[in-house]
Amino acid sequence: MILSGEKLERPLEEVFDYVVVGSGAAGATAARILADTGRSLAVLEEGPAVDSREFSDLAYPSFKRLLRGMGCQTARGGGFMPVLQGRCLGGSTVVNSAIVWRLPEEVLADWSSEYGLGKALPPKELNENWDTIERELSVAPTPPEAWGEFNRLMDKARSTMRVSAGPTIRNVRGCRASARCLTGCPYGAKQSMAVSYLPYAEKKGAALVTGARVERVLWDGERAAGVAGSLEGPGRNFRVYARKAVILAASAIQTPGILRRSGLANPHLGEHFQAHPGCALIGIFDHEVGMWSGATQGYEADHHRSLGRFKVETISLPPELVLARFPGAGKRWAQSMAEATQAAIWAVQLRAWAEGSVRERLFGANIRFAPCPRDMVNLRRALRFTAEMLFAAGARAVLPGIYGLPERLLPGEASMLEAAPEDPSCYAMILSHLFGTARMSPRPAEGVVGPDFCVHGAERLYVIDSSVFPTNTGVNPQHPIMGIAMLAARRLAEGP
Amino acid sequence: MLTPSARAVLDSLLPSGGPLGPSLLEAGFEEFYKDFERNAVPSLRMGFKAALWAAFWISPLLIRRLPPLTRLEPEARELALEAMGRSRLYLLRQMLLLLKAVSCFCYGADGRVREALSFPKS
Repeated sequence: MILSGEKLERPLEEVFDYVVVGSGAAGATAARILADTGRSLAVLEEGPAVDSREFSDLAYPSFKRLLRGMGCQTARGGGFMPVLQGRCLGGSTVVNSAIVWRLPEEVLADWSSEYGLGKALPPKELNENWDTIERELSVAPTPPEAWGEFNRLMDKARSTMRVSAGPTIRNVRGCRASARCLTGCPYGAKQSMAVSYLPYAEKKGAALVTGARVERVLWDGERAAGVAGSLEGPGRNFRVYARKAVILAASAIQTPGILRRSGLANPHLGEHFQAHPGCALIGIFDHEVGMWSGATQGYEADHHRSLGRFKVETISLPPELVLARFPGAGKRWAQSMAEATQAAIWAVQLRAWAEGSVRERLFGANIRFAPCPRDMVNLRRALRFTAEMLFAAGARAVLPGIYGLPERLLPGEASMLEAAPEDPSCYAMILSHLFGTARMSPRPAEGVVGPDFCVHGAERLYVIDSSVFPTNTGVNPQHPIMGIAMLAARRLAEGP
Repeated sequence: MLTPSARAVLDSLLPSGGPLGPSLLEAGFEEFYKDFERNAVPSLRMGFKAALWAAFWISPLLIRRLPPLTRLEPEARELALEAMGRSRLYLLRQMLLLLKAVSCFCYGADGRVREALSFPKS
């Protein structure tokens, strides 16, 4: 049952066994497991439910409907960096590129040795969960017939430079290579939570409530008794009670806000915020590249993932976002835009060392983040490597879009990227993949959540999203989030 | 509703005669802006208005000319806007980027532009 909070005419007041806040990778995975217990379950989502057939190929209406703050939520510190998050049933899984990576062994080992999470996150159990998810969501490498030219070019660079790279592994069933992942797959091929685990949970009796913004946790002493919040529609507000557990899966931006508004005072709450800053280069080729035909992110280079702390990914953006990146104003801008037909965009995803914070302000979250000098060294190396790959693939020019560098780099000039400015505000970066604002630690003095995912000092209140990750992951986090959320949900399901 | 000064800025930002076809105003920005004013998030709306103001009143100063932008001949207007993008002031650079980004929400959605880009028809 989907209850549309936008249409409810009366305040909602219901009791369930489990209440899950958030319907993205973490919340939907928990719902998928808990729905099997036969107990009652509600999933609360702030955004709307949008049917796949309603997805538009236009960026503006899509962003208005599917993204938090139309994609204009920003982190400040090293300039303004957009922080992209889905805000619809299925969360960011609706608007991401379905990239699947298991949590790297070295990251898990670090979490065990440095943060004492070895017992909380046993690799064997996690691997079993990832096996399950990969089977259920049709996870496989992007097949060559779905590559399109812009992905094929990275394959050419791989073979020329002999670097580690390959087709992206994704959770997609019957990809139509429409390059429309970022505005929602209109064919339902991408196995987002909206077409996979949420419908599964719904069939098993879960209530999916959309247009429901959770403000705070309701307490019965130290025990979480439910959540209260506001509806988008005329019903105005809701109170949903939980007999067994309140499970927060609202993301590393929203979860700390809910906890803080609920009266939780922990010095680590909203701190240790980590992310993967992204920065893209445009390669201009002599032939038509056709960026809008092929899997949105169908190829990637992980050559420097472990030691260099970065990955390079192909990406197809909607024309609206591509054109704005071309240099100039006036007639010169109009001229340069025409090169978009011959353009390929490759983006660096950096595993940053820097930590920021997420606090509350009047309208939404106050996100502070700035890459540190070590990150900027890695970023410039990453951009040089990316430009070298583009040239190896045959690019005749690279548009760096970096203040302080020429508008156009020619073959042989990739090294200029390593001499680019150190100031992060000279770059056009975005933040995706958000972590750490309610981190897990066995010691209450060092974290917000215990190894059982329960909030320190509270009962029956659990956090299962990437807020609990003690560090970033260096890989796309959907799969790690789902594997860990599945672990948490299984433990809850096995409980009394 | 676009003010005359906003129209002047936007017409200089993306004039007609480009290889993709229409100018920004010919691509229906006026209509787009009505929806943008009603539905865009407040920070984006305010940022866009501030960027229009800066382009109109401040950008001419960057090429050592007196404001407003409409005092300048068309070529100089484009140079003034380009100078925003090269300014040492981060905020001015961001404002030009914002003008371009919001403009492209409309421009990149135009059927003629998409056809010129060989964007597949849905």
